[in-house]
Amino acid sequence: MHFALPPRKTSNPPPYLPRSNRLPTLRRSRLKLIAITGLFFLTVIYLLTRGNGHPKLKKRMPTGNPPVVLVTVFDEAKYGKGYLDAIKENRIQYAEKHGYQTFFANIGDYDLKGAPGSWTKVVAMRHALTKYPECHFLWYLDQNAFVMNPQLKIEDHIMKTAKLTDLMKKDHSVVPPDSIIKTFAHLTGQDVDFVLTQDKEGLSVGSFIVRNGEWGEFFLDTWFDPIYRSYNFQKAEAHALEHIVQWHPTILARLAIIDQRLLNSYSQGNKGDQYRDGDIAVRLVDCVSAGAQACETESQRFTQQWRTSFGKF
Amino acid sequence: MSLSRSPSPVPGGGWASPGLNIGSGRSSPTRGYTGGSSSATPVMWESSRLKKAGGSGYPSFSTQNSGFLSKHMRKISSSLPRFNSAGSSPYAEKEKLGRGRWSAQNVPLLGRLRAIMGRMGRKMKIRILLLFMLLFCIIIFYNTPLVYHWRRTSWLGGGQKFVIILAANIGGGVMEWKGAREWAIERDSVRNKKKYVGRWGYDLEIVDMSTKKRYAHEWRESWEKVDFIRTALRKYPKAEWIWWLDLNTFIMEPSYSLQDHIFNHLEKHVYRDINEYNPLNITHPLTDEYLDPASRSPEGDGNINSVNLILPQDCSGFNLGSFFVRRSPWTDRLLDVWWDPVAYEQKHMEWEHKEQDALEQLYTTQPWIRKHTGFLPQRMINSFPTGACSENGNDTRIHYDQKDRDFLVNMAGCEWGRDCWGEMYNFRELSYWLNRNPWELFKEEFVAVIWFKLTGQKVKL
Repeated sequence: MHFALPPRKTSNPPPYLPRSNRLPTLRRSRLKLIAITGLFFLTVIYLLTRGNGHPKLKKRMPTGNPPVVLVTVFDEAKYGKGYLDAIKENRIQYAEKHGYQTFFANIGDYDLKGAPGSWTKVVAMRHALTKYPECHFLWYLDQNAFVMNPQLKIEDHIMKTAKLTDLMKKDHSVVPPDSIIKTFAHLTGQDVDFVLTQDKEGLSVGSFIVRNGEWGEFFLDTWFDPIYRSYNFQKAEAHALEHIVQWHPTILARLAIIDQRLLNSYSQGNKGDQYRDGDIAVRLVDCVSAGAQACETESQRFTQQWRTSFGKF
Repeated sequence: MSLSRSPSPVPGGGWASPGLNIGSGRSSPTRGYTGGSSSATPVMWESSRLKKAGGSGYPSFSTQNSGFLSKHMRKISSSLPRFNSAGSSPYAEKEKLGRGRWSAQNVPLLGRLRAIMGRMGRKMKIRILLLFMLLFCIIIFYNTPLVYHWRRTSWLGGGQKFVIILAANIGGGVMEWKGAREWAIERDSVRNKKKYVGRWGYDLEIVDMSTKKRYAHEWRESWEKVDFIRTALRKYPKAEWIWWLDLNTFIMEPSYSLQDHIFNHLEKHVYRDINEYNPLNITHPLTDEYLDPASRSPEGDGNINSVNLILPQDCSGFNLGSFFVRRSPWTDRLLDVWWDPVAYEQKHMEWEHKEQDALEQLYTTQPWIRKHTGFLPQRMINSFPTGACSENGNDTRIHYDQKDRDFLVNMAGCEWGRDCWGEMYNFRELSYWLNRNPWELFKEEFVAVIWFKLTGQKVKL
């Protein structure tokens, strides 16, 4: 038996293979290509979005409620109640006009470990930061001082960034007359966290502004170091401040010195610039050494004036 | 049965050839064909008739390669031995006495390989090629600087974020003689750190701690650490963490990277409440009412990312032989206030450990520092050898334990009464022994032991 021949093919073969029954979507090779491309992009995205193992800490911005806190330290042991009440009234009225808050402390409230009572101002500022964590600025004003011009707002009058850049003294000796350490020339208003003035003798710590923030806490804690308190500086915290400002550039880098009368006019002109009408505050400096009564009598000069200007506003 | 012609497979009979007498091959008449060739109907090709009836025109079964031999012909014939056909070697036979040996047909292994390759289809060949390319890439990756650069890049391995500062040349030979032993200790320590950073892609900064006039007694003695850290923060702008190491340290386990060992799970290792281990008996947390809640809580603000200084404590307080500092504004301030002339003047007689004691003082009195300081268990980055801190014998919190494979040994205080070089040498050899590669392990643990059992001789392989 012969093997059969295979059946004959036609001379007009069909041009295409018969269609399979699957839907005509994707060919297998294209599916593979898509899968590989997808995997590649996923790998790239995974590598890029793995991100840092340690993300940077987000700084919490204070909301500004209240915008400014007025801090004053009173010496209730030494001064009469009427006088101190008048001062408190002055602060409270000023604060009410602008939505500020006040923080009053008394010498003796805190344990200073034997240091002179004037150090209370530093720890009172720190306490104010704790009590009002959402404030923008803290303004310390001495007890023997009055806010004279209630129309001026601290955050506009001094602390506005552009204004501060103009007001701050650049390349200015920190401790007059001729300290080698001078304020930085490259600072702008927004770098500044600490504003104060100088009088004829040195830095004046009777009236200064500190911005709320990490730097503010660092600065006040450093200033309040027990080693400085126990060192017996001649002028207590004022000299301690001059020391740390000159020795630690991280403090100098956030410091601005402005004209004395912008924040800190004196009642008499022998130790510093004298008060003129329109200045925001006046400080009675000469009477402190003369005794409590001297301050009360000197304050009469200004009491009427501030009451009338507050009444007008 | 015998026929004069082959019977047609077509059911209707007959052959598809028009000239052929349709009925001529059959012995009996069939249906469907009337008479003979006188019929007027045109002859139909059988397959066209089938197509008209439906179907693809191809048979539904495979008609080719259906026999055993036809299916397996290629495989069988390729596995049979091959012989030289005449005329395949045009050159004189005598010249080729040994040369023909390597031709593929004669060597059994190569021949088998060629046979296997011959049998493979193209898909299989491509897959094997891809596999080999992958293997090649992996080998190239690990044996060239590629792996170093991978580990170094901040978005891949993260090595650039770490800088190790190694304090070298302690004293510089100014106050004491620096002899062969001191040089050898320095060489070992530096080599160990260099290998470590070379492996993991960190930066190494070796700083000269020789006695300088600037840091001479009564003026900032030993505070050079602070200045060096400041310089390093400036020199390596991408660095996030700076690790300060004293000279008498040895990294025992170089296979631990800092990221895996500590930083990828920082919150698990760092403790901020010093009451966990408080050799200095510092009161914690601070309780003054004028402080903010974060300063008064034992854990600070609870966020591990606010920890900017990580250090271990030993039996007598903070230990700055091995500690980490993070780049941040807080760190700039710390480095600034760490040394202060008023503080130094009042306290330097008390401060036996100088900047270490200054830091303890700062930690105790300054809330802003406490908030951002964290501690690591000592044995994590700063194990002590049995000579140090051993007034109470061996302490599992302090002393190096081989079983736990502690990361780093700090031979602190070895220059007072102990043998620095001996300790460094012993720890170096121990580290090499603990980290033998598999081949060495095989030789020493398997082959040498068997040899010893067989022959009683100790042999060094």
